[in-house]
Amino acid sequence: MKGIILAIPSKGRLRKPVMEILERSNIKIIDDDSRVYLTNTTIKGLQILSVRTLDIPTYVYYGIADMGITGKDVIEECGLDVYEIADMKFGNCNLIVAVKEDSPYYDANQLPHGIRVATEFPNLTRRFFNNLGIHVEIITLRGAVEIAPILGLSDCIVDLSSTGETLRKNGLRAIATILRSSARLICNKVSYKTKYEDIKKIIDLLVKSCENINL
Amino acid sequence: MIALKLCNEKRLYYIENCIRYLPQKAISQREFWQAGAELIGEYGPEADAEVICLALESLDKIGLKANIDIGSISVFKKIANHFNIKDIDRLRIAISSKSISEVKEIINNEEVLKIFSYVIENRGRIEILENIAKMNIHELYDDINYIEKLFDIIKDYGYYDRVVIDLSTLREMKYYNGIVFDIFIEGLGIPIGGGGRYDDMMKEFGLDLKATGFAINIDLIVKLIEKIPIKKERIINVYYKEGYLEKAIDIIKNMRNKGIKCSLSLYRGEKEGILISDNIIDLKTGEEINERNYISNSK
Repeated sequence: MKGIILAIPSKGRLRKPVMEILERSNIKIIDDDSRVYLTNTTIKGLQILSVRTLDIPTYVYYGIADMGITGKDVIEECGLDVYEIADMKFGNCNLIVAVKEDSPYYDANQLPHGIRVATEFPNLTRRFFNNLGIHVEIITLRGAVEIAPILGLSDCIVDLSSTGETLRKNGLRAIATILRSSARLICNKVSYKTKYEDIKKIIDLLVKSCENINL
Repeated sequence: MIALKLCNEKRLYYIENCIRYLPQKAISQREFWQAGAELIGEYGPEADAEVICLALESLDKIGLKANIDIGSISVFKKIANHFNIKDIDRLRIAISSKSISEVKEIINNEEVLKIFSYVIENRGRIEILENIAKMNIHELYDDINYIEKLFDIIKDYGYYDRVVIDLSTLREMKYYNGIVFDIFIEGLGIPIGGGGRYDDMMKEFGLDLKATGFAINIDLIVKLIEKIPIKKERIINVYYKEGYLEKAIDIIKNMRNKGIKCSLSLYRGEKEGILISDNIIDLKTGEEINERNYISNSK
């Protein structure tokens, strides 16, 4: 093997299922230590890079990592030119627009100009509201977005939701879906061509491990 | 460039700073250096092959061994039109990111999906196009002839091994209409350039001229070249004994005319270089040398 680096989430909702897929693929991390970002595996030449989910497209785009596993939401938010090889079918969730339960709006189209939207996804949010022709003020947060409407920081939010539980608990109601997301296997455009055989082996291994399972 | 009277074919090149619009917070630079070459007023595989091989040859000259993947806007449009696909630009983006799941959101016909999956998953030579044509897309025969000829000429230039067909290589359809290509180098994650045929662009300037060309990102190349160790040029130290300066100057002038780099200084017991007095001595070996032989050997 030519030396391949696979980037995976170091934490977050995708970490656990990804580790499970690696185990099913018989890819074992040697010397697992959460403080070491780059580790060897039992497959000679394959290294695992553990970094933040949001940074994975960047590592793959620049070719620092040859491949990566991250959410469709993150790939679209980053907007970087990478190959999106496979839908791994786990980590399903939707990027939604939500308002307070007592709000008079039941569709994103009804939202008035100038409202404040809190989100971790400023690029996708801007694109969505631009397409609707609604001018909004975007407030970028790094987490706990659901709390923003109750505290009065924003009128609505754009955030990920899988079961709707967090929304309900924070008195919010979804009114539109921007994107359906799941974990994707991405690949650097040049690595795919120059290391095709080795990369294909890893793709087949990982994709096969994703079949018929519920993560 | 536009003001040029382009009646016959023209070959143009530039190395300039370019500026492009990028959305906010994009991580690429808005201003960058680009080198490009265009062949305007010529149609056919001969012109495309010339441009492709020029790109590879220019990179060879600076020590960078590049490869090229070829796609075709014409082939892509013909397949899409064959199946009456409406959202063709969205399909182009899905295919150029090799995303089958994205393609499935646009197309739900099994036969069409099979063809586009083939496009996404395969790289090769002319057989790629032939296999697609065999799936009942007969419109492709002109393109097959064109690209087959293109590869014949690339072979004549000696670059056959470095060029491959990957039909997921696609570019902006408002600009390009024929073959398009990406230029890349192993070890550098981002393609360093690309190009293709843009026969309709010149119409925007009132000129009905076919055109093909390529561009290379100079900023990326600079980063690559910085990593290549620079060969240190050999400089010969020439020393003279007191009273022999005039003779020594004659000799170094002769050497420099022949392209040999040398320095000149007064002899203070150095152990390397050559020493000029009544005769010429190689200080390392202590042997006497013949000026003419020494110069022709040093070159």
